Amino acid sequence: MADGSAPAAIRVRVWDVPTRLVHWLMAAFIATSWWTAETGRLEYHRYSGYVLLGLLIFRIYWGLVGSSSARFAKFVKGPRAIVDYLRGETAPSLGHNPLGALSVIALLLLVLTQIALGLFAVDVDGLESGPLSHLVSFEAGRTCAKLHDFVFDVLLWLIVLHVAAVLFYVIFKKQNLIAAMLHGERTYSQPPASSVTFASATRLIVGVALAAILTWLVARGFELV
Amino acid sequence: MRVRFSMNAYSVIAIAAAMAFTTLHADAPATPADVLKARHDHYHALGDANKVIRDQARASKPDFAALEKAAAHIQKASINQQQWFPKGSGPEAGKTRALPEIWTKPAEFAAAMKMFEERAPKLVTAVQSKDVKAINAAFREVGGSCKNCHDNFRAPE
Repeated sequence: MADGSAPAAIRVRVWDVPTRLVHWLMAAFIATSWWTAETGRLEYHRYSGYVLLGLLIFRIYWGLVGSSSARFAKFVKGPRAIVDYLRGETAPSLGHNPLGALSVIALLLLVLTQIALGLFAVDVDGLESGPLSHLVSFEAGRTCAKLHDFVFDVLLWLIVLHVAAVLFYVIFKKQNLIAAMLHGERTYSQPPASSVTFASATRLIVGVALAAILTWLVARGFELV
Repeated sequence: MRVRFSMNAYSVIAIAAAMAFTTLHADAPATPADVLKARHDHYHALGDANKVIRDQARASKPDFAALEKAAAHIQKASINQQQWFPKGSGPEAGKTRALPEIWTKPAEFAAAMKMFEERAPKLVTAVQSKDVKAINAAFREVGGSCKNCHDNFRAPE
């Protein structure tokens, strides 16, 4: 710091519980989906997909009306901000940095694509299928299943990149992003210019209910009775 | 000299039909590629019928006519499946997931085929009962017989 004394570590709460929980549950259920698919447990694969659908719906909702550090409009930045960030011309960000934001968006879009394909996918024997398979032919369902397979490989590579980037921050930039995503706090040497506005419990309850209802409807193939 | 050809539509159709008949019933043995394709088409159609059962059995208002048609197809497909696996139609014949065990373990393979043949009629009966629970149960049994054979005699994708 300017006066030469040791920089006082300032701990700031950055991530709220819903954002952290969704993050780790998504990681766990992507792993579950992978394992159930590889071992041919398609019934459980379908259930795992439903959980992911619910998490994704909630995360999109939270990205629109949730806490400020989870909102897309707050953390998604244009190319100039990304270049400035790479040049080190940006103050430490509260939450996702401009480059990390790209990774978040890419991961969420791929998970969205993957779930959408899974809803219509049909296995090679026509014995198992996603909850909306009745809306497509066997051939179209098979095409969805093949794309579902391909998109997962892309998602897997993106996850590898995501983990590698996080480890780069932990090891070389001494910013423990993993711990921050676990306990929700980050340490700054000087107070950040702004602070995180956390969303209310009411918003949280509405979001959970919305995600649960929409997932239930999709899982039932929009059959209401 | 000009030869004038005058053929009416009926004779064109008749000749075309005769040619098609000759092609279909040619005595020349089917090539391995033909056997593989016919088998693939057979099981693809079976998958299509399975999907109808799967989709309809979880609908709030099942289409029982479609269910009956699909169950009949599945039952018919379960009979004499050995015909789709003549000797020489394994991996040596081209791109297929049929494993050599089909021909090296004929007794086990026959038992696996028989399991499907025995379970398929129960699906037909269940569909006729219009009891969705029974249909799902019978379909799970049929699916189990598919999986049993595929686990042992079909190469993983």
